[in-house]
Amino acid sequence: MSVSITAEMVGQVIISGLLAGALYSMVALGLALIFGVMRVINIAHGTFLMLGAYTTFWWSQLLGINPYLSLLASMPLMFLLGVLLQRTLVTRVVNAPELSSLLLTFGISIALVNLAQLAFTSDLRSVEYLTGAWLVGPIALSKSRVISFAFAVAITLFAFWFLQKTKLGKAIRATSQSSEVALVCGINVQRIHLYSFGIASALAAAGGSLVAVMIAIQPEMGQVYTFKSFLVIVLGGAGNLPGALLGGMLLGLVEQLASLFLTTQLSEAVAYVLLVLVLLLRPAGLLGGRST
Amino acid sequence: MKRVAPAVLVIGLLLLVLYPLMASGYEIRFMLQLFMWVALAQSWNLISGLTGYVSFGHVAFFGTGAYAAAILVTSHGWHWAPASMMGGVAAVILALIIGYPCLRLKGPYFAIATLGLNEVVRALVSYFESVTGGGSGISLPPIAATGQIYYAMGLAALAVTAAAHLIITSRVGLRFMTIREDEIAAEAMGIDTARYKLYAFLLSAFIPGVVGGLFAQDTGYIEPISVFPLLTTITMIVMVLFGGKGTIWGPVLGAVTLFVLQEMVWVRFLYLHQILFGAIIVVVVLLMPKGILGMLQERYRLPRTI
Repeated sequence: MSVSITAEMVGQVIISGLLAGALYSMVALGLALIFGVMRVINIAHGTFLMLGAYTTFWWSQLLGINPYLSLLASMPLMFLLGVLLQRTLVTRVVNAPELSSLLLTFGISIALVNLAQLAFTSDLRSVEYLTGAWLVGPIALSKSRVISFAFAVAITLFAFWFLQKTKLGKAIRATSQSSEVALVCGINVQRIHLYSFGIASALAAAGGSLVAVMIAIQPEMGQVYTFKSFLVIVLGGAGNLPGALLGGMLLGLVEQLASLFLTTQLSEAVAYVLLVLVLLLRPAGLLGGRST
Repeated sequence: MKRVAPAVLVIGLLLLVLYPLMASGYEIRFMLQLFMWVALAQSWNLISGLTGYVSFGHVAFFGTGAYAAAILVTSHGWHWAPASMMGGVAAVILALIIGYPCLRLKGPYFAIATLGLNEVVRALVSYFESVTGGGSGISLPPIAATGQIYYAMGLAALAVTAAAHLIITSRVGLRFMTIREDEIAAEAMGIDTARYKLYAFLLSAFIPGVVGGLFAQDTGYIEPISVFPLLTTITMIVMVLFGGKGTIWGPVLGAVTLFVLQEMVWVRFLYLHQILFGAIIVVVVLLMPKGILGMLQERYRLPRTI
């Protein structure tokens, strides 16, 4: 506390916050997509992130190829797993009360996390790649974080382009606005659900692959991302996709600012306090209602 | 049936009261833990089974109670029994802080808010080292009170089951269940849903806090990882879903069945056991959403209030 805070430190914090925030935005976009299209909160979202991170770990461990290229494996793999889970399990609770989908995805997440414990053990793993930092003036930019940021931004922009411009993307947004009307317009809503769950899982997996080069990997790492992604979509307004971008950046900034003033243990609690405050003061999110 | 059931209950209770006189230390501890799980499962049932608002962080109340009681016992020289009651009070205060903002909203906000709760409380407990001992935990003075804690734990399980019975057979219970079935309709009928949800939540937090305090005294040593494990929440949820959520005896049935299986068989296969828990949740949600007891109720036309 006694350390005086300089302009450089604030600059560093803002940059770090944005770097972290882009990842949050990308991962939360997936959760927002599933929630928008199916009104399902996917408690297993972070589990896909964890599996994506393990894909990257084994990719670089076994193949020895650049970890960022593992996105080519983790995203399609988790897309398929997501489609499979949607097809076999989640589809049965889409129109059921929220209780069912929350519990179902919670059950899926427990099963997958413990399968990962069994298969990969709970040892901490890490992918060593580009450990240095670039110095821009007084600000140090961790190389892996900057590259992960760039990938996250590119993937997020691509996802937005896809949702805005392609026929499938438009069908997804239409289903999100009203699945009855979408059905009447000849959109195969069941198939849209499959694609949405797949895309969301791929986004989570991308998040996993990108954090794998920064932090330690273990089977229970996903839960905190489920929580943070939810916080991001609450900040942005549930079901509001541009809101998810804003929310992610905001969460990144707040966390980094908190780490400047507080110890790490307390800054973990900051996201939580933020959630409770937003729910108290602005329950519809910062941007308000739904917009896709 | 109407006359047999109370008789069976009374005889069962009598046997449980006399049990410590004839059982070994290990057997007493086994039953003590069983009571603990009944109490925890039944508590989760009060909020999630009755109002349909899922709490993913119920172990936070258990841990908070354990710490509050342990601090009162070690630093302030309290007896463990009143200290455990204060553990329950501490848990209720925590529930008030979380529940007040989150339960005013509908939908999954509450569930997610409880998802992070456990981690946050654990982080805070680790941080305030001067009070909680941080990562090194708190050791409670050892006392030979297993027998007394057995009765206290049993009383907690009995109290929360009796409370479930009182609630489910009363208008308050109907209000809770109306919220679960259709919250908008509940509001339209004049039920102050925010208030009743909060009542259910506070009620469901109290006993886990008390039980946490008893657990702390029984094990004699607590640390953040031992009283805030996610697995405890998972176990509570599985027990209730398996037995039958929203019923009086479902959580008891689930707790007894799964605890016995867990102690006999699964303890040796930790991760498999948790995979199985995940699978049970999925299967119950998809195939028998009312659990074992709910299925029996439908098949044999048992009364709803069972």
